[in-house]
Amino acid sequence: MLKLIFYRFIQAALILLLISFLVFVLLVSAGGDAISALQTNQQISEQTLETLRRLHGLDRPLPVRYGMWLGELAGGNLGQSIYFQAPVWNVIQPRFWNTIALAMAAMSIALAFASTLGLAAARRTGSLADRFCDLSILLASSTPRLVLAILALSFLARTSLIGGTATDWQTGTWLLRLLPPAFILSVPLIALLLAQTRAAVSARLKEDYVQVARAKGVSERLILVRHALRPALNPLITTFGSSLGGLMSGSVVVEQVLNWPGLGQLSVIAVRSRDVALLMGIVLITSAAVLFGNLLADVMLRLNDPRLRRENHIA
Amino acid sequence: MKPLLRQLATAFRNLRGRSSLIAGILILAFFCLIAVFADLVATYDYRSQSRREPMAPPSSLRFQDAQGNWHPRPFIYARRLVDPLERRYEEDTQQRYPLELFAPGYSYKLFGLFTTDRHLFGVQSADSANSVEAPRLNWLGTDGLGRDRFSRLVLATRFSLIVGPLGTLLASALGILIGLIAGYAGSWVDAVFMRAADVMMALPTLVLILAARAAFPLELPPARAAALLITIFVVLGWAEMARLARGLTLELCQREFVQAAISIGCSPARILIRHILPNAARPLLAQTFLMLPAFLLAETSLSFLGVGLQEPEASWGNLLADAANLTLLERHDALPILAPAFVITAFVLGVRLIGRGLERFDEPFTTQLSKTAKSA
Repeated sequence: MLKLIFYRFIQAALILLLISFLVFVLLVSAGGDAISALQTNQQISEQTLETLRRLHGLDRPLPVRYGMWLGELAGGNLGQSIYFQAPVWNVIQPRFWNTIALAMAAMSIALAFASTLGLAAARRTGSLADRFCDLSILLASSTPRLVLAILALSFLARTSLIGGTATDWQTGTWLLRLLPPAFILSVPLIALLLAQTRAAVSARLKEDYVQVARAKGVSERLILVRHALRPALNPLITTFGSSLGGLMSGSVVVEQVLNWPGLGQLSVIAVRSRDVALLMGIVLITSAAVLFGNLLADVMLRLNDPRLRRENHIA
Repeated sequence: MKPLLRQLATAFRNLRGRSSLIAGILILAFFCLIAVFADLVATYDYRSQSRREPMAPPSSLRFQDAQGNWHPRPFIYARRLVDPLERRYEEDTQQRYPLELFAPGYSYKLFGLFTTDRHLFGVQSADSANSVEAPRLNWLGTDGLGRDRFSRLVLATRFSLIVGPLGTLLASALGILIGLIAGYAGSWVDAVFMRAADVMMALPTLVLILAARAAFPLELPPARAAALLITIFVVLGWAEMARLARGLTLELCQREFVQAAISIGCSPARILIRHILPNAARPLLAQTFLMLPAFLLAETSLSFLGVGLQEPEASWGNLLADAANLTLLERHDALPILAPAFVITAFVLGVRLIGRGLERFDEPFTTQLSKTAKSA
């Protein structure tokens, strides 16, 4: 297990390095930089722009800039955001926690909903719960988050349930504001998890060992939870891991529409203002989150399934 | 060989019990029809502004006039902007304007071939000698510049329906190609492609699409914007498909018929195309249908965030940008503003229904078709 984690960390470091290089090249070769937004301002002379560029090191060639960025990263520094005039980490940090909170809330909602309904539906095919499950999967998978977010916005705008600006939130308002985006983010996840839970559990319920357990007189509830659910957890864990990272980056639109100050919203700002250092920080953190989610899933899979522990798979 | 008609009849009989597949196909077919006949369905040019009528409510179709008389033919009343600040409108009940089918309007080219000026709906002045201009017929009202929302929505179908599906198709094709090659070649080719796929999958896609799009000028003509978006989708979207195709190839390579093909000396290209690809087609097709909504929504999100297609061109995404405007939502009837949201949902629902219909049955529709043709 430790070996796996060790190998995965090395792999992740290499992947992150590659990603950072790709994104850096893409952003820098894009033409225009954080300073070019000032160009339209008549009061700022060409000379000032040049000085600003030199100050931020934007006039150097690409390899040099990437090298400088890497050097700073090695020292634990993500660089300086030009748009916010602050260290990137200071800008990202509060928003990072907001996004984490949002992702966690969405994941909990999806897991709670999917596991209860999925189990109920798996017990008997064609039951009311099964049909309801069918319908929820179809609806949840075909309503885009963007649409949901906009509908929620138009609804909330009418009820004026929540208001105020981001700075004057109390804890209660914070929670109240967290719920709508969390629900919306959880919807596609619900479809995914629900379909998997139902398929996996109902397949397990047909196995011989479940028949044996029934013959022994084990209660139906215990069979469901102990004999059927645990082996059915594997695909769920994989989905959980891969969507954890997806939640981090998938929230761009939802955060933007419902004004949740997280990483998604920040990335829109960073892209619009061509703030390379800031965007690099965001890309790095979200990519790391995706890789971490995958690693977490692998570790959990091995904890749940002894067969996987015995195999010495590392890839 | 059975006549084509009877083959089709058997195929149709096999459709029974595939209600979700049929429903999905019908929905998509409807969207395709709308896209093809967009100019016919639209009432006005989607760019033409009517500055005297900003944020007008939907025209209400009536059968009963203000005097209480019933008319067999539906009609609308002209409306007047009574309060430019609040944008309130009042109906002028002096004159009825009956609805007309295939009414003349702006001229366009049907299928890009025939020039015509007919539109599905329109209104005419009550008597043609009257010089009073007929009021505009806005099924969904107008936007802030007085452009007809309905026409914009209809025309937007074209852009959104080209970019999403075409991007999916090309990305799938690239992914399948890479997956087949990686799975068949193995060793370092496999390692290189699959690590690349890992990197692609670990990337925060939407952020990256945003960044990639931001690398190009914002103002682009629709054709170039579409080409750019499709390219970005293909470059960023092949990974998932490649993984699936690789897994399937690895699995199929163990099977006897592939081994046999190798042993009689078939070229790798022939084995991949004639033996492996047809047997992997079903899961690959299912995956394509799973990917389609994601790509469609990526386009919508980009246009929504203001880096996809730019105004005055219309796409589902930039129409939705209106719907995220709180002041508009608070002041006006929300339903017409939210119409694009429902349209998008309906389309995705259609795609999902087809995907579900495909996975419901163990045998793919196409093999069943050929089987019935053979057995008879």
